[in-house]
Amino acid sequence: MMNRVLFLAFFCLGFWSVGIGFSSADEIKTVRVVGSTTVAPIAARAAEAFSKKHPGIRIVVNGGGSGVGINAVGRGLAEIGMASRQVTDKEKKNFASVHLTDHIVGRDGVACAISSEIFNAGVTQLTREQIADIYSGKIKSWKAVGGPDRPILVIDKEKHRGTRHVFMEYVFNDVNARAKGAKLITGSNNEERSKIAQSDSAVGMLSAAWLNADVEGVALKKGDTFIAPTVENIQSGMYPVIRDLLFITAGEPKGILKDFIDFVRGEEGRSIVTESGYVFVPGS
Amino acid sequence: MNRKMRDNILRGIIYLTAFAGMFMMVAVLWEVIQRGWPALSLEFLLQPSSNFGAEGGLLYQTLGTIILMAGAVLIGFPVALGSALFQTEYVRSEQVKTFFRAIIFSLNAVPTILFGLAGYLFFGVYLATGVSWLTGALILAIMILPTIQASIQSAIECLPEKYREVGMALGLTPWALARRVVLPQCWYGAVTGALLGLARAAGETAAIMFTAAAFSGATWPRSFADPVPTLQTHILVLAQDSADAVSQTNAWGAALVLLMIVFILILTSLVVRSRFSMEAQR
Amino acid sequence: MFSFLVPDRRCHADPMFWITVFFAGLVLLVAIIFFSYLIFESMPIWEQGVWAFLTSVEWEPAEDIYGAGAMIYGSFIVTTLALLFALPFALCGAVTASEFLSPRTRLVFKGAMEIMAGAPGVVYGLLGAALLSLWIKDFFGLIDGATLFTAGILLGIMILPTIMTLAEDAIHSVPGEYRDTALSLGLTPLQAFLKAVAPRALPGVIGAVLLGLGRALGETIAVMLVIGGLDIVPSGFDLFSPGQNIPSKLGREAAEAIGSGLHWNALLALGAVLFFGTMLLTGAGSWLLRRNKV
Repeated sequence: MMNRVLFLAFFCLGFWSVGIGFSSADEIKTVRVVGSTTVAPIAARAAEAFSKKHPGIRIVVNGGGSGVGINAVGRGLAEIGMASRQVTDKEKKNFASVHLTDHIVGRDGVACAISSEIFNAGVTQLTREQIADIYSGKIKSWKAVGGPDRPILVIDKEKHRGTRHVFMEYVFNDVNARAKGAKLITGSNNEERSKIAQSDSAVGMLSAAWLNADVEGVALKKGDTFIAPTVENIQSGMYPVIRDLLFITAGEPKGILKDFIDFVRGEEGRSIVTESGYVFVPGS
Repeated sequence: MNRKMRDNILRGIIYLTAFAGMFMMVAVLWEVIQRGWPALSLEFLLQPSSNFGAEGGLLYQTLGTIILMAGAVLIGFPVALGSALFQTEYVRSEQVKTFFRAIIFSLNAVPTILFGLAGYLFFGVYLATGVSWLTGALILAIMILPTIQASIQSAIECLPEKYREVGMALGLTPWALARRVVLPQCWYGAVTGALLGLARAAGETAAIMFTAAAFSGATWPRSFADPVPTLQTHILVLAQDSADAVSQTNAWGAALVLLMIVFILILTSLVVRSRFSMEAQR
Repeated sequence: MFSFLVPDRRCHADPMFWITVFFAGLVLLVAIIFFSYLIFESMPIWEQGVWAFLTSVEWEPAEDIYGAGAMIYGSFIVTTLALLFALPFALCGAVTASEFLSPRTRLVFKGAMEIMAGAPGVVYGLLGAALLSLWIKDFFGLIDGATLFTAGILLGIMILPTIMTLAEDAIHSVPGEYRDTALSLGLTPLQAFLKAVAPRALPGVIGAVLLGLGRALGETIAVMLVIGGLDIVPSGFDLFSPGQNIPSKLGREAAEAIGSGLHWNALLALGAVLFFGTMLLTGAGSWLLRRNKV
């Protein structure tokens, strides 16, 4: 009886060490990519293409948001963190020992997205002050900005999201600005887009590549003209709210990680980027 | 006459409310079936998903959920059984019994998302099992432990004293008593417990969403350290895409599959319990 | 050594004894590790002032300001709503099943209830996000369907079968003599129930309700998708405002802070508050249920 128990114990121990062995092997077989839902489609599609060429490598992609991605790579919970914003000073301080390194894989614009019903009713452009007033609760009805007499559903995002940082930087000059007029908080780009599409009077912040027939992006004022969030305007840099899409690693990437990042920044990766609706800037 | 009428009216109101409640339950079921059914086809069930989940089938998600469920019960069942037997066969002190019951019960009261978070740090980080199906199974095992143990214990407590008395009169050691008398009579409690544990593990999302699941890129786990896609997290992500028709159909289809898995498990546990349990009451 | 546990010394030679001790000890160990981690890691927040944390409504991770007030309020409101919604249906269903249905119908009914009680939370989440929030938005003419009210109703639907089946157990387990005596005195079945059975079953029924509440308190996914996510205490008890409760907050924010730091401590402290509340409720619940079984 005792022998059987001992045998079982050793068996389990063996199992465990094999499992640990797999997870801490020097040669990486699984690459974990976590973070921004803006960058995720690029990573997922690139992962599919890359895995076809390197059959032993598995690349696992999860969303969660830019903050989650940076936190994950900072703590060693992922090999690549995806971010649609820059790493903040606070994050740099938190992960000082890790030496976060970013690699630009693409570029994207952040649209002030509104329900297509409002857009089609005539609200096709907004000034920064108008957006600021909407988000701080001073403007409550679309009528005040030239639209129908309907209350505005102001949609905010979770505080760590890359899209929010970039948007708030543009509107309030503060990545952590509070939006007092907010009526709803969403997380991923999916959720944001769904909510704007479902409503007929919503405004939110969305990656420009995610706009569609139900969710239109207003043109923003730059100088004397209004610039729409089209691919051309983002590519040329005319659109005022642009951010780099980043893969963040802990230190310099080596081995298969480096290969994957090079792949995404290379020719095939670039075609994936543009097919997904984003842009790449040569020489970045 | 007045009294009878009042009684009938009251009774009618109670029936109506009960019926309304039943109706709501059925409506919930109906919505899931009606919206999920169109998505179900053999290919949907057997194909992997693609295009970041918006298209394709549920093959690996279903597999992932089953792996987590099975892992959770495989890990949790022996522990629950051992712990239950310890409390019913060996412990004599009432205070110790109450103490253990309090421990089990407090484990049961933990909000599952806390389990996911704390369990992730403990297993995934400190014990280096990472974001993997193993971590998920371990966390789920702890979570369903009280369920399995409660089922085993309540079955054992239903055992009439005379069985034990005869055993002790024959001079059996507690373990022999357990092995030859208690378990053969109460095994249905263990089976019910395992089935209910499986059902609970299948339904759990919050505990595994940070610790075991990957949304894209993971298929069949090749080692203990691989994350798996699951039906639960798949539904969660697709539910956020509520404006997209294809995502929605897939979400309902996945929900229907998950619901069916849970139903079959619970139905089986009910059948087991009713056919084999001892009628100690009424 | 274990004589305070087990007076029978023969056990010490029995290898299975040690194995079961091992497993029981494992359970104990897991529980202790978990609880100590929870308390230890949330300490930095408690040190800053327990009352301040529990009542302040400001939650700004960027400035390291943490106040759980909005989340606690949300949890309270949503759970109360769920209860108020579910109770009438659950209790009437339980009474009907126990007192007025034939045994066979009752079994079918019970089976259906048990099955529904096991339905996963994420399915309710999908129902909420795709259907319920839209219905509520249209029905009440709201600007958006993600509100405390929606979360409350959704949770109510979710815990309805659980409360119904547990309450039914409690009512049905009252011995037949109580009913028979009342009937023989000329009372109708309903009156027999109200006057003779109900008082006896009351502890058990309350226990069932508390256990259902415990489930409602901890549900994450279903609430996260429909509550709105705004960390506010709406003015004037406005139920149709978006809000936030504890599991939803954890579900949305935990991944970004996982590991260490004040943000993480604060989230764990939130979890500890929820855990404590759930323990109190379900503790009272199971105690009452056991008292009823005697």
